[in-house]
Amino acid sequence: MTKLLQTLFDGLAVGSLYALIALGYTMVYGILQFINFAHSDVFMTGAWVAYVVAATAGWAALGGDAPPLYAGLFTLFASMLFCAILGFGIERLAYRPLRKAPRLNVLITAIGISLFLENIGQRPELFGTQPQKMPQLLPDTTLFTIADVNFRVVDLTVIAVALVLMAVLQWLVFHTRLGRAMRAVSHNFSVASLMGINVDAVISFTFVVGSAMAAAAGFLYVMKYPGALKQPADSTWILLGLKCFVAAVIGGIGNVRGAMLGGVLIGLMEMFGAAYLSPHMRDIYVFSLLIIVLLVRPAGLLGRATVEKV
Amino acid sequence: MTAPILDVRAISIAFGGLKAVTDFSLSLPAGALQGLIGPNGAGKTTVFNLLTGVYRPQTGEIHLDGRRVDGLKPNRIAAAGLARTFQNIRLFGDLTVLDNVRVACHVRAETGLAAAIFRTRAHYGEEAAIRERALSLLEIFGLSHRAGEYARNLPYGDQRRLEIARALATGPKVLLLDEPAAGMNPQEKRALADLIALVRRQFGLTVLLIEHDMGLVMNICEAITVIDHGVTIARGTPAEVQADPAVIEAYLGAPDEPPPASAPAPAPDSAKADP
Repeated sequence: MTKLLQTLFDGLAVGSLYALIALGYTMVYGILQFINFAHSDVFMTGAWVAYVVAATAGWAALGGDAPPLYAGLFTLFASMLFCAILGFGIERLAYRPLRKAPRLNVLITAIGISLFLENIGQRPELFGTQPQKMPQLLPDTTLFTIADVNFRVVDLTVIAVALVLMAVLQWLVFHTRLGRAMRAVSHNFSVASLMGINVDAVISFTFVVGSAMAAAAGFLYVMKYPGALKQPADSTWILLGLKCFVAAVIGGIGNVRGAMLGGVLIGLMEMFGAAYLSPHMRDIYVFSLLIIVLLVRPAGLLGRATVEKV
Repeated sequence: MTAPILDVRAISIAFGGLKAVTDFSLSLPAGALQGLIGPNGAGKTTVFNLLTGVYRPQTGEIHLDGRRVDGLKPNRIAAAGLARTFQNIRLFGDLTVLDNVRVACHVRAETGLAAAIFRTRAHYGEEAAIRERALSLLEIFGLSHRAGEYARNLPYGDQRRLEIARALATGPKVLLLDEPAAGMNPQEKRALADLIALVRRQFGLTVLLIEHDMGLVMNICEAITVIDHGVTIARGTPAEVQADPAVIEAYLGAPDEPPPASAPAPAPDSAKADP
């Protein structure tokens, strides 16, 4: 029973992380119908910027004492701001000139951006080629224990931050003027443009929001796994990105709520598989779930299957 | 005579070797209701695409209310006061009926993103005004009771009317209607003609209409331009155009046959793919 609850809790924590990244994939796909392969590298950059900020500020050097509370918040916002600008720049410089080019060209460009970020990230004046250990910004304690399940501060923070950000995004997309414009652009951007919507601005904004979410996920990731800050070109990042892309597909790509659902499902699947079957095959569970979902519901769980009218 | 509200001067576009539209000119006085007709593939929709900025004209100029608009992006042209509907319905199917209209109201909105995020009073006042305006447009088009439905679930006739409502929401000076009566039955067409007359009066609009239904065009348009293979072949009042041998030839392709008694036969296929 304890194991079940503990796994459930861990799955939710990991899943909400995945959901944050999946949102970036799904929003870009929804609007531009292409897979932004550079998204996992924005996530990586977010994690590394968090490290650089925290390490530079010297919060790690405070010794055993917990750093002040604002340390975490400041690092989170710095990382989100940096990646928001990065996302804006990527779209403006790499994708916008190809807006009218065949989809494949954009896809290859995305892979190029991905390799570029990975490799420039290894420059010694940036992140370097060595893995690092993230300074601890949150107290490594258990907040409370219910039925022998440990609710660690870190995991609770991950879930809380992810929930807040998803709530904000939900509000933004479904209850604001800008969200209305985003939905119109994602339905048909040439018609949206003819109805007076500044499509370029909406697309830029989508990248800014998606990248900021990925940065937040990067921050939360290194909070949760301080020892797992692998070097920028490490395959860990790509695999994580791939899983989140799978989450977006499972939820129904292009669907904001679907990405949240898919992320949580993937997280639960991975944790339950690791806990009850074998911890060595986590990735297999994730991709098996993808195959099953695609067989049963090819458009994803919340995706709407479209039938071409003839 | 006052200056025309829409002044098109010899615009052309070619796709590769195909001259889709050649030296098309048009002068719409404020408040006019004119028709643009021609056989299938004549380039009518291409003219609309040129006017609204989907395509950039390779020659010529377009002036809207004294301002040059050719070469601007579609959203800037819409902001300048040119709105359109589509031959094949292109609503935002995943948005509600109300949101389809509201999203088109944005172009006239004053408060920006910052106001939306910080939830200022001005933003809320404006949101309320947009909602109000959208609802009153739906009222005019008899769609109020469907405001909360997804646009894709509307019956065909309602979708056609919603397209016009959405175009009006951008606050246009000139409205371009691309085959608004396509697929409608005679009663619906009459109702549509009344509706066009109504909104034209109420909003002080200038209207340019592409239509295959000759009865409708001849009834409501004050002047008609006829194009074929991208070239303007006739221009004048409905009666003049009807009697023009070049028009009859373009439609029937039979120079020696006697002209039809009432009107040139409309081209039968209305679901064709006009680029």
